[in-house]
Amino acid sequence: MKVKIKIDDDYQIFDYDGDLNISVITLLEKLDIPIEYSCSCLQGICGACAMVINSEPKLACKTFLNEERMVIEYNQITIEPLSKFPLVKDLKVDRSILFDAMTECELWLENDSEYNPKDLDFEYEMSLCLMCGCCTEVCPNYKLGDFVGAPAAVSASKLVNQESDEEHLKNMKKKYKKRFFSHCVKSISCEDVCPMEIPTQRAISKMNRKSVWRIWQLMNLD
Amino acid sequence: MVDIIVVGAGIAGLTASIKAGDNGANVSLISPDYSERSQSVMAMGGINAALNTKRENDSTDQHFTDTLNGGCKINNEKAVEMLTSDAPQIIDWLERIGTSFSRDANGNVDMRNFGGQKKKRTVYAGSRTGKQIVSALVSSCRKRETEGKIKRFVGYRFLSLIFTDENECCGINCIHEDTQELRSFIGDAVIIATGGYNSLFGKILGSTQNDGFATAKLFTQGVRLANLEMVQYHPTTVKTPQKRMLITEAARGEGGKLFVMKDGKPWYFMKDFYPELADLMPRDVVSRSIFKVSDGGKKDVYLDLTHLDEYTVKVKLDEVYEICDKYLNLDPLKTPIPIFPAVHYFMGGIQTDENHKTNIKGLYAAGECSCQYHGANRLGGNSLLGAVHGGWISAENAVLEKPKGNVINSIDEELESFKSYAPKDKSLQDTLSEISQIMNDSMGIYRNEGDLMAALDRLDNLDINVNAKYYDYLKVKLLVILSKASILSALERKESRGAHQRTDYPESDDRYKKSICAMYDDGEIVIT
Repeated sequence: MKVKIKIDDDYQIFDYDGDLNISVITLLEKLDIPIEYSCSCLQGICGACAMVINSEPKLACKTFLNEERMVIEYNQITIEPLSKFPLVKDLKVDRSILFDAMTECELWLENDSEYNPKDLDFEYEMSLCLMCGCCTEVCPNYKLGDFVGAPAAVSASKLVNQESDEEHLKNMKKKYKKRFFSHCVKSISCEDVCPMEIPTQRAISKMNRKSVWRIWQLMNLD
Repeated sequence: MVDIIVVGAGIAGLTASIKAGDNGANVSLISPDYSERSQSVMAMGGINAALNTKRENDSTDQHFTDTLNGGCKINNEKAVEMLTSDAPQIIDWLERIGTSFSRDANGNVDMRNFGGQKKKRTVYAGSRTGKQIVSALVSSCRKRETEGKIKRFVGYRFLSLIFTDENECCGINCIHEDTQELRSFIGDAVIIATGGYNSLFGKILGSTQNDGFATAKLFTQGVRLANLEMVQYHPTTVKTPQKRMLITEAARGEGGKLFVMKDGKPWYFMKDFYPELADLMPRDVVSRSIFKVSDGGKKDVYLDLTHLDEYTVKVKLDEVYEICDKYLNLDPLKTPIPIFPAVHYFMGGIQTDENHKTNIKGLYAAGECSCQYHGANRLGGNSLLGAVHGGWISAENAVLEKPKGNVINSIDEELESFKSYAPKDKSLQDTLSEISQIMNDSMGIYRNEGDLMAALDRLDNLDINVNAKYYDYLKVKLLVILSKASILSALERKESRGAHQRTDYPESDDRYKKSICAMYDDGEIVIT
């Protein structure tokens, strides 16, 4: 099998003839080449190893060679770093801007969390965001700039449920409107690639209802 | 104002930072990566607290007793008393900062059964409890970052402690992983929250990032370690093409049962061995039982969830279902899961008292790297609790520190060492594999003097001149020292207790009802 890895803007090609029932991260280990990438949990719960595999952003530890169409049909795999963040080296990128955006959007609680039984499952799902950057990779609107991307919307949709401080709620919604709503064209491609299968569409529509569509607020429907 | 340095951004480090910030400190939170990448997010099953909302007449006293019994009575009793009596307050705090715990029909946080405890005492959030707690702590920490109480430094790895001329700890030296920049952080106290020393045993269940560097370096700088021989083998782990992965104890807490085939039929052996708690015996006991019935791993042992309902398996045990589906291609509702014990947790580590102080003034440790709560075997659900509690208590005490001596700046020494290091030829991966092979060969579920002595000999003869970056180059040398200290501790404990089972000393012996301590004195490992 041909393994194409993007290193310093160039594609380097390696041969691999071993077992195909392995993940991309194990493939990188087996190639035994000095190549840098991030990893931590090796089981799909930390988000470190997100990279672009055969043109799709995925977690390398959860992506198996024998499930990849390009491997099955064309006997090849292409591995690239996420393209929207500054490159550190090889397959490692600097995602700090994603984390900074969470702070800029004031994503925290001022008061003690409120418990709403009907929202518990939703809040649980929204807390699963790995901050891996798969969603921003496929987003047609995300580039380094004012738009904060789906992770901020996902986190906000949980926190506006839990927050009772009116002033802070207002600020969170204001930031959402400015830094998310006014940039997102609702392609919802983020939902297709989220490795935790977070229903980002629900998060976004909830935030739009709460922050933008005043009719919902006036009717107190949400 | 007091300056606190926290090393590690998992649950213990986050809690320590938040609590130190709330107690008026300026906090520098230093970690190789963001909290979302920490091992804490991998904790599945739950967090223990005797909330007594299940009409089972539970109490913090019973939690205390179960923890001591589970730890075979070599836990620090004072520390366990604080841990268990503070537990309900910790759950309350985690709820208030927004952790989405699962709830029961009455709206109370739900609790499930866990090993070594007769009462339902393990609060949970699906089977992603660690991830949910980290998510809430990160938001909470973010607020304090904006208020200027906490400053995060991401990408830095710990290199060494900095002392005053009165031997107080007052800072750390670090290296930035990407830029190789060396940097000092000076403060009034240091809290180490760097997790377990996974790399000693290779690619184990936890994070690849918890490498044991900090624990080993602290040891060489005069910090006392304890109970290094106490390594927990989690009973139910599965072999995947990637690594061994954990099937949470919650699977047995929700009714899962272990069996082995005998005379053509499944034999649910735990019920026969231990009629009262059966599959929910403490982990050391379950792991030994599996080892026995499988004839040391020759026969397959299974975890059976096929009799459980779909909601329990797919929702309450969501992470278990996902691991089976994604990595084993197996539906646990239809097929029993083949399991075997594997290294999971280190009860031993940096010895701390009930206030999380080490033997060095100004130096604290919290979370898995610190040793006091769990004795010879940790109960499931007590690690998340210990991490939050340790972070909290260490912060409350650390903010009272004020070093008296003058800082001895050691960054120049580090710089000198960095400049003079010359990578050699040997493969880093091969060397790390050799270390882990030696440890796995000698420090298994059952140990004996012959294997342990042979391991020491192999470590002495290991070529450690590796071709690696500065940090990894140092790490290999340090891991060999820590491995030796662990083996010497195992040799010293001439008895069987909890996770430490000696085939040549199969009984427990009251003379060893204590911690085995390790110190590093002038290049020599001294065990007491």
